[in-house]
Amino acid sequence: MDSNKKYWKGLEELQQTPAFVENSKSEFAEPLPIENVLEGPGLEKKTPRRDFLKKLGFGIGAVSLAACQNTPVHKSIPYLIKPEEVTPGIPNYYASSYNGQSVLVKTREGRPILIEANPAAKLLNCGTDAATQASVLDLYDTNKLKDPKIGGRETGWAKVDKAVIAALDEANASGKQIRIVSSTLNSPTALSLIAQFTAKYPTTKLVEIDSVSYAGIIKANQNSFGKAVIPHYRFDKAEVIVSVSADFIGTWLSGEEYTQQFISKRDYKSLENGKMSRLIQFESGMSLTGSNADARIPIKVSEEVPVLIALYNAITGNNVAGAIGSDNAKAQKVVALASKELLQAKGKSVVVAGSNNVAVQSLVNAINVALENYGNTIDLDNASYQYKGNDTDFESFLNEAKAGNVGVAFFLNTNPAYDYYDSKKLADALEKIKTKISFSDREDETSVYMDILAPNHSYLESWGDGNALTGYYTIVQPTINPVYNTRQYEQSLLIWSGSEQDYYDYLRAYWEQNILAGTGRSWDDMLQTGFEYKGEVAAQAYSFNGDINSIAQQALSFSKSFAKDVEVQLYQSIALRDGKQGNNALLHELPDPISKVTWDNYVAISPAYAKSLGIVENDVLKVTGENGYTVELPVLLQPGQAQGTVSIAVGYGRSKVGKAGNNIGKNAYPFAKIVDGAQVLYTTAKIEKTGDSYILAQTQTHHTIEGRNVVRETSFKDYLHDPAHGSGNHGTKHKTYDLWNKYESPGHKWVLAIDLNACTGCGSCIVACNLENNIPVVGRDEVRRRREMHWMRVDRYYSFNVEGNEVTKEKELASLSGEDLDDVSVVHQPMMCQHCDHAPCETVCPVLATVHSNEGLNHMAYNRCFGTRYCANNCPYKVRRFNWFNYWNDSRFDNYLNNEFTQLVLNPDVTSRTRGVMEKCSMCIQRIQAGKLKAKMEKRPLKDGDIVMACGSACSANAIIFGDLNDPNSEVSKALKNERVYYVLEEINVQPNVGYMTKVRNTLEA
Amino acid sequence: MRNISLLFRSVVKSLMLIMATGLTIGTASAQDVKEGESLFKQKCTSCHAINSDMVGPALKGVNDRYSEEWLLKWIKNSQALVASGDEQAVALFEGHNRVAMTPFPDLSDDQIRSILAYIDDAGQAPAASATAEGGAANNNDVSGFMLVGLGIVIVIALLVIFALNRVIRTLERIIVNKEIEIVDEEEEPKGPTLMDKVKVLSKNKRLVFFAVLMLVVFLGSAGWKTLWDVGVHQGYQPVQPIKFSHQLHAGINQIECQYCHSGAFKSKNASIPSANVCMNCHKYVTASDKYNGETSPEIQKIYDALDWDGQNYGPDQRPIQWIRIHNLPDFAYFNHSQHVSVAGLECQNCHGPIETMDEVYQFSPLTMKWCVNCHRETEVNHKDNAYYDKLVAAHDKLKEGDKITAASLGGLECGKCHY
Repeated sequence: MDSNKKYWKGLEELQQTPAFVENSKSEFAEPLPIENVLEGPGLEKKTPRRDFLKKLGFGIGAVSLAACQNTPVHKSIPYLIKPEEVTPGIPNYYASSYNGQSVLVKTREGRPILIEANPAAKLLNCGTDAATQASVLDLYDTNKLKDPKIGGRETGWAKVDKAVIAALDEANASGKQIRIVSSTLNSPTALSLIAQFTAKYPTTKLVEIDSVSYAGIIKANQNSFGKAVIPHYRFDKAEVIVSVSADFIGTWLSGEEYTQQFISKRDYKSLENGKMSRLIQFESGMSLTGSNADARIPIKVSEEVPVLIALYNAITGNNVAGAIGSDNAKAQKVVALASKELLQAKGKSVVVAGSNNVAVQSLVNAINVALENYGNTIDLDNASYQYKGNDTDFESFLNEAKAGNVGVAFFLNTNPAYDYYDSKKLADALEKIKTKISFSDREDETSVYMDILAPNHSYLESWGDGNALTGYYTIVQPTINPVYNTRQYEQSLLIWSGSEQDYYDYLRAYWEQNILAGTGRSWDDMLQTGFEYKGEVAAQAYSFNGDINSIAQQALSFSKSFAKDVEVQLYQSIALRDGKQGNNALLHELPDPISKVTWDNYVAISPAYAKSLGIVENDVLKVTGENGYTVELPVLLQPGQAQGTVSIAVGYGRSKVGKAGNNIGKNAYPFAKIVDGAQVLYTTAKIEKTGDSYILAQTQTHHTIEGRNVVRETSFKDYLHDPAHGSGNHGTKHKTYDLWNKYESPGHKWVLAIDLNACTGCGSCIVACNLENNIPVVGRDEVRRRREMHWMRVDRYYSFNVEGNEVTKEKELASLSGEDLDDVSVVHQPMMCQHCDHAPCETVCPVLATVHSNEGLNHMAYNRCFGTRYCANNCPYKVRRFNWFNYWNDSRFDNYLNNEFTQLVLNPDVTSRTRGVMEKCSMCIQRIQAGKLKAKMEKRPLKDGDIVMACGSACSANAIIFGDLNDPNSEVSKALKNERVYYVLEEINVQPNVGYMTKVRNTLEA
Repeated sequence: MRNISLLFRSVVKSLMLIMATGLTIGTASAQDVKEGESLFKQKCTSCHAINSDMVGPALKGVNDRYSEEWLLKWIKNSQALVASGDEQAVALFEGHNRVAMTPFPDLSDDQIRSILAYIDDAGQAPAASATAEGGAANNNDVSGFMLVGLGIVIVIALLVIFALNRVIRTLERIIVNKEIEIVDEEEEPKGPTLMDKVKVLSKNKRLVFFAVLMLVVFLGSAGWKTLWDVGVHQGYQPVQPIKFSHQLHAGINQIECQYCHSGAFKSKNASIPSANVCMNCHKYVTASDKYNGETSPEIQKIYDALDWDGQNYGPDQRPIQWIRIHNLPDFAYFNHSQHVSVAGLECQNCHGPIETMDEVYQFSPLTMKWCVNCHRETEVNHKDNAYYDKLVAAHDKLKEGDKITAASLGGLECGKCHY
């Protein structure tokens, strides 16, 4: 207990606002109307004797009727011809892939219910991101198109085929262009199919455009090295990482894969070997990466290039003009320290920048060449094909269309009417195209302009493949029969190109001839593993081509163009990303890792800057971009946001996506622009108050821990000295007395170890937990009432750094003001039921609905609970949730999960709870029981790793380790022997079964 | 003396022998027919019926047509007999489109004789279908017995009270008579009306008290029992879409449970067999011998469900909608494989004498008390199962010598079934 550092979850907690204090005292967000009933009018109200008798009579009648011995008739309908591989009650796993990443799909009785990582895969072999987890819910979306449409009227596929072929023939005959507009298409078979299609219709061309473009990196690599690709970054080889606004463990390129790489240099295993990488982040808005950085320096958008130039100068010894000056002294100082670090770690470092500007990325290339990183930590030879979108291609498509040269245009997995910045230009262009066909699975914003809708399958219904990395080919295989009358776009293109082949045969033939040929593997072998990897190509070093001075000046002038008014940074939120999954209720309800806001986007602004503009929390701001586009959004005071900047998330504000996602937040894409042929997500804006106010559904202080000491951290330097530093494990612990007998767990003892140094806070564990445990979505209003049902949450704590001095005593907080509030460090702490051996909840339950098991678990019997909520009141960790509604059977929740179709996503091994009962993390008891049963059936002892938690299996950083503490060789027993381990609130002696490892920061030493 | 005793013994011995032989002879023919019936159903019914031609000819009167010696040879290996050039055999083989009969070398002569005895027996019986015995549950309800007993006790008690009352009244009258000489002699012959009697009885406080007490006890216990049984559907026997008889399939034909309910051994669901499993046998077994050569209407339902035209499944398939008999509440998790494969329990443990049920009914109450009692008493089947080694060692350390029941390994904890 040697930490006196003050952690806080939100500004209201820091400032102890009256509302916060009030809220933390009361159990419910809204006072219950008990007084109305018990006092005044409630008591004065008379109940006439006749009414009383009527109600009594009805009550007795109803009860006796309900007690009648009528056995409910349940139908039980077996298969007529059972598929051999299906055994009702046992899940099947299929190797498939999502966005080029190999995954396993868990199905029950022929319906996919969970996505897990493929442990044999390349790129990412453990964990998946929140979007991948949630993608299974998109399959069960009732807002999808149920039939193809022509001119807005439902029709059959035969008519669609006739109409499309006629349009294609006409375009062909009149020499008009045919365009297939798609988001990045890295499916080798689909590309070969398009080549076949092009042979039939020679004017066909594929145009790739991504909602959030990385064309700047591709173009910069073309200019610098002659290779127009996105490199494969290797953060697992980097000891020093400097990132300028690149949220590389969040949404930048391949965030989840980079998380795994990055954390492998920082988790407890790496620390035990005395190794830890260092991440220095310069950025304006607080990103997930910034929150995990060892040093984070807030800079304005317009300061990105000066920082990079300063870094270049310091590393190469050149003196390019435009380096960051003393107006941001802190950045200047850190650049000097960072460059020293980088030079020491030559070939073992990475510098990345989030800006999509060609000149900026060229400058970054020059720095990395000077650091000899190519061939080591940056691999241009094993290129990534995850994002190939080319903004100039799309611009020229629009120009061609406007000129009337395009006869037919197909839109595949792209929605320019929503995410293209210039809606008028788009509308003008689309108007001139004779036949427009969309493959969209729903009537989205772009569908309004379409003549024919030919809805595509979900990836869980189709055959397909992907090629996300050089030599890495992944397969997509269907896991359910198509639900609606849809057809996968490949099949449609195949038919329209005059072939009668089935796409499955086409795909298989392509794989057998091109990908599997010579490998000795059969198609079936490959389906089992889900991918084919040709092996890594030797990475080479590259030298830089280009005039650094002119590049720097170009970058500088780009940068300076933002140095006016309020600088606006647009970013992708961790949950919604580019907005393609805009109707996914699970993602909308996933709290943002930093702001903990659900169901909205907002204008993030620093508290000090807001104060100077007279803006307070809950204000609604009118933001007018430099191109005149205006949105009205609520404000969010974000500690750590750079002064003079605001951040707004794209991906929100969809108008035609479905019941759950329509008009959630505002669309920020129109603020973007194209500079040097690449999309730029920066702008400048004027902001003004509208006078309205709006309360965001923010979860951050819902489960306050009342300022108790729950987070422990240390610095890497101190850790090397003393691994137990900061963990509170030193000194004599005071003698404790137990009211209860020791709880014996003679057989198994299930425990969790959570590595705070590995947890990035991304929240994919929360989505996995929701899906595994049938946790309902409650919607914005209910979240505002503090009624979110998530069994686990990731608490985000802020703390201050003042003058490099990490420790801030509580009494010093009062003296802080202004810009001091911007320099915050963040700790993410996953918090779920701690399964205390001496659980305070168990002793207060009047009906013994929550009791302890001999395996160390805190059981919750829903059918026994009658909802006193005493347990929730007595839980020091605030991890129990109360069901206010029958969320799965209540028309108020129709927009989310309550409908017959969407309920197919439910895990049949877990009860869906009813109204009026408590629920909480069960430590995936269904998985424990299933794992034990499997061992029993095979008559063998349970092995470590046989059972994994849903949260743990979704974590790419391996931050959540589950296992049997009674097995001395289990990973968790070894992890819990680590000196860093502490138990949250162990001083109250509830003996929790979840151990945490101190957060270690590799802080910069001046 | 010795001789006498020896003589006596031998007499007794021979008497017993004679009696025993007599008994065996008496039962032998009946047993033959019974054994023959079960063998016939196992081995022959896929091709033969008694009264009608199927794949093979109708077997009625086969004993008259052929000699027993010839039949024994034919059944064991018909092709060998044909090859040997036996006239009858060749004629039979040619007469049936040269369809070879499956050889049964594993049948003993006695077994074949039993089958023939059965054929003989069945051939004599009229071709009507056997009347099925009522499969209704003989619900041996102890508490029902108790209730009846209680009622009898109450009636006796009432009679006793009535008798005692009469005695008291007579005695009282005698006392009154002694004190006052006879009063109202004239009214007596009229006799009291029924209403008067009730009125008089109702004035007897003890009787009223006793009656009320009995009424309260009766209603209370009946109510108590009704409330306990809310949601308990023991004996539930819904009408199923197909009159499938477990008695026939599992009882008489001895089909292993897991042949159809394969899920019970590996999954939480025992699973109702899909119709294609039925078709493994019912492609051939049509029970037409019982329906004058027509396919049994119940088996026809399987064909209709699968749209079976005798060769292939058709496109117009309609699933069979069975009515679920054993309904557990949603919040209770039950896994068949844990109980069947791991614990090695017989299906009958919970489902009762399923092999005798013509129509299945819910045998066990399926209440939590019923589960828990079994978990308390049943020893864990941990022998030769390495999973349990550590648990058993831990258990022995704490409570050496105690029975290792499911309960002692945590089988009564809420979370074992409720999650």
